[in-house]
Amino acid sequence: MVALNDTEATARRNSVPWLTLRRREAIEGWLFVSPTLIGFLIFFLGPLIAVVFYSLSEWNLLSQRATYVGLDNYADALTANRDFWHVIRNSIFFAAGLVPLNMALALALAIALCRPGPGVVFFRTVFFAPVVTSAVAWAIVWRFLLQGEAGAVNQLLAHVGIDGPNWLREPNWAMVAVIVTRVIKMVGLNMILYIAALQAIPRDYEQAARLEGASGWQIFRMVTWPLLAPTTLIIMVITTIGSFKVFDHIYLMTGGGPENGTLVLAYYIYEQAFEFFDIGYASALAMIMFVIVLALTIVQLLLRQKGSA
Amino acid sequence: MSGLKLSNLSKCFGKAEVIRGVDLEIEDGEFVVFVGPSGCGKSTLLRMISGLEDITGGDLWIGDRRMNEVQAARRGVAMVFQSYALYPHLTVKQNMGFGLKVRKEKPAEIARRVEDAARTLQLGSLLDRYPRELSGGQRQRVAIGRAIVGHPDVFLFDEPLSNLDAELRVHMRAEIAALHKRLRNTMVYVTHDQIEAMTLADRIVVLRDGRIEQVGSPRQLYSRPDNIFVAQFIGSPKMNICAASDLAGPLSRAGVDTSGAVQVGLRPEHLRLVPEQQGLMTGQVVISEYTGSGSLLHVEVAGVGTMLVLSEGQEGPRPDDTVYLAIDPGNVHMFDADGLARRAEDAGVSASGAMVAER
Ligand SMILES: Nc1ncnc2c1ncn2[C@@H]1O[C@H](COP(=O)(O)OP(=O)(O)OP(=O)(O)O)[C@@H](O)[C@H]1O
Ligand SMILES: [Mg+2]
Repeated sequence: MVALNDTEATARRNSVPWLTLRRREAIEGWLFVSPTLIGFLIFFLGPLIAVVFYSLSEWNLLSQRATYVGLDNYADALTANRDFWHVIRNSIFFAAGLVPLNMALALALAIALCRPGPGVVFFRTVFFAPVVTSAVAWAIVWRFLLQGEAGAVNQLLAHVGIDGPNWLREPNWAMVAVIVTRVIKMVGLNMILYIAALQAIPRDYEQAARLEGASGWQIFRMVTWPLLAPTTLIIMVITTIGSFKVFDHIYLMTGGGPENGTLVLAYYIYEQAFEFFDIGYASALAMIMFVIVLALTIVQLLLRQKGSA
Repeated sequence: MSGLKLSNLSKCFGKAEVIRGVDLEIEDGEFVVFVGPSGCGKSTLLRMISGLEDITGGDLWIGDRRMNEVQAARRGVAMVFQSYALYPHLTVKQNMGFGLKVRKEKPAEIARRVEDAARTLQLGSLLDRYPRELSGGQRQRVAIGRAIVGHPDVFLFDEPLSNLDAELRVHMRAEIAALHKRLRNTMVYVTHDQIEAMTLADRIVVLRDGRIEQVGSPRQLYSRPDNIFVAQFIGSPKMNICAASDLAGPLSRAGVDTSGAVQVGLRPEHLRLVPEQQGLMTGQVVISEYTGSGSLLHVEVAGVGTMLVLSEGQEGPRPDDTVYLAIDPGNVHMFDADGLARRAEDAGVSASGAMVAER
């Protein structure tokens, strides 16, 4: 009744007849979302469209002249003898090393630290702190620790009789080094996600299983792990996406070297655009990366829907 | 099958002593219910029996084995949790067979025993469903089924019905009673619903602050409580407790000897509304709560305080009416200064008097 009277009153008071309550509400709604919407258009959709155009042209930042070349840049990436496939291989290698290592470590830490106990808060903080540490500081410290002869890591290894490699100077070892240091930096985030998921599992499940004679490993395998499955899927996808987008870490640790051994996709794009000023080619690469990440995101969304169904 | 023996059992969480020297013997096949107010240690005591909580002091025997250090899974007990604790990613069948599977039982044997239990509990048609596809009562039954499948010696229940609505609770209560009749296992059951306790138990154990206040059959606890706490805890509505001196007049007129009693307890159902000339006490109705079969009256008696009185029939007195009360002399409970029941040598006489009065 009240609403109806309101509508009538509004309608009578209004000098503009088409401005019904419904239309007014719609306009108000659009006004409320407009700041975000405008931001989205200017800072996301705009650049995206621009990149599509750039990727279809030959455009050197220095000559300031753009010519339409169709799909040449894409063909260049996918077929010509540029570094593209080497870079993709590196990116996959990076993801394949980082994702399982990160997740296994995150889960192990989460299991150790999900229940209150002595030192738990301290260790959670210790493992989460790198996540919020400056990437620059992190890289500087690790480059220092990973130096050839004098680095702390190799000195430690020497103590147990291992002659460590010159980590950041040898292509394969450099890849291992950037993966491991990246895992140590970011594992805290997945640890927190796993801790939250573990804490959401009622303790009764574990106790009921224990009463029925299940061992710790059986409880993990038959109860905890299946119940963590939705979390595991999400973590896997977001960590994979994150690993495909990694840039700062590579830039600061190795600059893509040695011998392009750690040259991953995001860094390669940067290099092509801002060191070689080949904007067209870099834009095509960016589009390829966009498609990869988009595909992973869609996978994640589908998995999420399946999980909640 | 086996009985239980708890001797001087105690439990501390850090500095807090939660169970303080509990002595109790439970016969083979007995249905024992722990009741008590929230936080008194019922669940803790049950979990100590199950092995989910370790024992700080004293001894626990199941059958003729001392179980203090024995693993939970090897004590021959099964527990039904308040939350049911059914694994959401497993079907009813898999939930019920879980314990056998982890103990590496053969699949054929698992299937046979799950089906047996399902038949007992009429779960047959639900075996392939997931817990989220079941109603509360069905989940409850699956939880009991899971306990049955392992053929335990002792069943432990921790408030298994408290998540059900009132009607279902009454129904499941009857099912549990029937189950006990059929299986004849020892069962220990925790609840704070005293109706549940009264209807199910062979014997009730009343706990307060980690100590046993009284152990006895429901009838014993109701008619002969050892102290004021038990007297007030068992029975609904609650027993009226008054100072003996305030009631000395009416009680002596009723022929009750109150010598030595400091407090007197009268159950609402043992106070009767009578015509003026038979009345021992006069009071005024403050509140009248209609219960269907009668009314629960809050009666203000001058010099005594507010007493609860159960009046039968549809036409009960209204607020502000003056009422006259008679006391059932066989059902007067007397307590000393420490709140302990006073039963002189004539206790037997008054008890038999109570029997007569009941007829
Ligand atoms: N893990 C624990 N750590 C510390 N104190 C605990 C723990 N478990 C229980 N307690 C304490 O022990 C006492 C008894 O708890 P318990 O759960 O046995 O009570 P209860 O009688 O089952 O109560 P309710 O009827 O509310 O379930 C409470 O005071 C509780 O705070
Ligand atoms: Mg409890």
